Amino acid sequence: MLETLKAATFEVLETMFFIFPESLEEITDLFHGPGLRAWVPVEGPKSFRVGLTVPLPLAQEMAANFLGLEKDDVPLDKLDDVLKETANMVAGSFLSQEQVPETFHLKPPQALRLNLDDQDWQENSHHLLLAVEDAGLEVFLEKTK
Amino acid sequence: MAYNVLIVDDSATMRALLRKVLNISGLELGTCFEGANGREALEILEQNWVDLVLSDLHMPEMDGAALVKALRQNQLWQSIPVVLITTEGRREVLEVFFQQGVQGYIRKPFRPEDIKEKLQNILGEAWVPHARDLEGCDF
Repeated sequence: MLETLKAATFEVLETMFFIFPESLEEITDLFHGPGLRAWVPVEGPKSFRVGLTVPLPLAQEMAANFLGLEKDDVPLDKLDDVLKETANMVAGSFLSQEQVPETFHLKPPQALRLNLDDQDWQENSHHLLLAVEDAGLEVFLEKTK
Repeated sequence: MAYNVLIVDDSATMRALLRKVLNISGLELGTCFEGANGREALEILEQNWVDLVLSDLHMPEMDGAALVKALRQNQLWQSIPVVLITTEGRREVLEVFFQQGVQGYIRKPFRPEDIKEKLQNILGEAWVPHARDLEGCDF
C-alpha cells in the first residue's frame, strides 16, 4: 500500500507542482522549523487518513508552482489551501490506484501548522519520508478507528 | 462566441488555477464565475447565463452530485455541459454521473493540455448554440 501511496504522491507532485521528490537517504536536517500538515479523512468500512507534511519553505515553493507565482508573492494564507488540495489529490489517486470500493468516501481535507522540530521522523509501514532538494516531505496513511 | 464558464470547487487555489488554465487554453472566455460549492453555483446560475460548468465532486454543504442532479432537473439548465474535475477516479462512482448526462471528466492531477483537449472535444461535438438553448424554455 505504501508503494501505491508513493506512486500517487509522485504523480501529483510531478504533474501539478513540477516537483520531483526522491527517496530519502538521510533524515537529519530535512525536517525542521515551521511546517504544515494536511490530510484527508477517508471513511467507510474502515476509517483512515491520507496526508503529507512539509516544511513551510517547501509549502511556499509548491504554492508558487501551483499558482504560477514567484515564491515571495504567494500569500501565506494560501499555503493551507494548496496543501489541503495536494492531500486531496494524493488521496484520490491512492484510492483509484488501490481500486478501493465505492463504499469508502473522501471527506473534506484538513490542515495544521506545526513545529517540525517537535516531531519524531521515522519511516515505517505507515509513514514514508521523501526529499525535495534540501527539504523533507512526509506522506502518511494512518488508521483512525 | 465567448463562453461564460462557471468553476465550482471548494478550494480557492484550485479555482484560481483553473481560471488561469482557461485563460491560456485558447477558449474565447466571456465571464468566468466561481462558486465554492453546489449551492453557490445554483445562486450564480439564477442570475447569470453560463455556457459550461466545471465542477469538483467532493465539496461541503452541497456536493457535485447534488449540483448535477439539480442542473439535470431544471429545464433551463439541463443542457449546460458539465465537466467534472475531481480527485475521484473510481469508475463505478463516475459511471453514475455519466448516466446523468455529465459530458466529461478530468481527474486531478491534470495537465493544462488535459483541460484544453477536453473542452475542445465537448464544445466541438456537444455544444448547442446559446440561442437554441433558450428556445422553448418557459420563462
